[in-house]
Amino acid sequence: MKYAMIHDMEKCIGCQGCTIACRSENAIPDGYFRLKVKMDGPHGEFPNLNFNYVRHSCEMCEHTPCVTVCPTHASFMDENGIVDINANLCVGCLYCVVACPYNARYVNPKTNVPDKCNFCKHTHLKQYGEPACVAVCPTDALIFGDLDDPLSPIFSYLANKPFVTNKPHLGTKPKLFVVPNKKGGIKL
Amino acid sequence: MNEIWGPDSATIIWHWPIALYLFLAGLSSGAMMKALSVEWMNKNKKAPWDAFVRAGVLLAPFSIIIGLIILIFDLTKPLNFYQLLITYNLKSVMSLGVLLLLFYTPLSLAYAIIRFRSTLEQSFLGGIVRNFGALLDFLERNSLWFGRLVFAIAGGVGVYTGFLLSAIQTLPLYNSPILPILFLASGLSSGIAACICFGLIFFEKEVSKDTTKYLLTMDLRVIPIESLLLFALFVGLYFQGGEKAVAAITSLTSGTWAGIFWICVVGFSVVVPSVIALTALKNHAYKVNFILLNSLSIMIGVFALRMYILYAGQIYLGT
Repeated sequence: MKYAMIHDMEKCIGCQGCTIACRSENAIPDGYFRLKVKMDGPHGEFPNLNFNYVRHSCEMCEHTPCVTVCPTHASFMDENGIVDINANLCVGCLYCVVACPYNARYVNPKTNVPDKCNFCKHTHLKQYGEPACVAVCPTDALIFGDLDDPLSPIFSYLANKPFVTNKPHLGTKPKLFVVPNKKGGIKL
Repeated sequence: MNEIWGPDSATIIWHWPIALYLFLAGLSSGAMMKALSVEWMNKNKKAPWDAFVRAGVLLAPFSIIIGLIILIFDLTKPLNFYQLLITYNLKSVMSLGVLLLLFYTPLSLAYAIIRFRSTLEQSFLGGIVRNFGALLDFLERNSLWFGRLVFAIAGGVGVYTGFLLSAIQTLPLYNSPILPILFLASGLSSGIAACICFGLIFFEKEVSKDTTKYLLTMDLRVIPIESLLLFALFVGLYFQGGEKAVAAITSLTSGTWAGIFWICVVGFSVVVPSVIALTALKNHAYKVNFILLNSLSIMIGVFALRMYILYAGQIYLGT
């Protein structure tokens, strides 16, 4: 199994339902975030204005800088392709926080261990088979699936839509695929 | 605008204790390598050289131990630090560093004990030292090979701190192959400076004019190399274009850290030593105060370099 997610920016309306679901599902302390959806814009010429809603969370890289730098194997990738943290092994050197190209980690003030999105591995995914953010998305802008299963919804979606990944020049091969927004013109 | 996703988390993740550790580790490895090379050049171990060898050999274990204590208390889970010693990830530079330090710290301490053996045996620690007599005898007999081993490991400690930062791909100022060499060179320079300072203050009677001058010229020779490496670091970033070029330019021209670079890094580790060397020390004049000032200035400059790289690397991302 290799879990992956698609964020369709054409469908996303920036309602923040996913960010709130994430907070409540994973009991994130106030002021900290596993998942942010940032507004980027407005782009384009009036009256054709448009916002991009950009998801910021762990991208579940295939080649993981955070796992490579971790001196104690506290950052690891599990058998389902989820990048996770073993709090018992972590010493809190914060090497992984610095190394993450997507700024996806924060230090949890309660445990003093870096924390990040893990597709709700121990909570919603375990109970319902998908992360909380995916479950609440009103426009189905988030699609979750298994890259090893051709029948997974993620397969047909990626076959029919053009998609990108973030910071491809780093060779991290993220498993968060982004369907870019085509509205709002081209910016060089 | 009060963004709905709340405040962005702080961009500075590694703070000044890390820079202090990087400085002390560099100083330790530099002092050790310098002490050993001086010792090898003067096999008779006569008095004029002895002061600096002893200063270096003492500085090396003490600065690395202080550095490691700082490092451990800087962890967010200091009580868990033993995990670093029992689990290793050989792909991680930090793990490789732990392995190196695991050998370097006790070996440098052992070297210091050998050099101060007679003093220690007369002190209150005499009993403990005598218990290890056989081991110390063995190490003393193989002093040359033991020294070579320590020298190699000290070199490893000197470069690994640079690799530690350069392994981080996303921060342009860190992710440069120049960094490990720059850290090794500046560590060496701070090590020599610290030896001069320490030797002059604590082993004053054993210090002669010639030896001090020799070490000083040794240190002044590292400075052009260091300047070249600094130059290469920024020019290299600039030629890589894109974000890296922007990061290179902004980190030298804007913000507090650009000022710190020009005043503290360039000023204290290049300009001040050069001025002192060209004026006060020109006529082979042995002026203790100027030599102390010179080595102090170099040490401040090298510490400022670590601070600058650590902070500017996290601030200037070129975006």
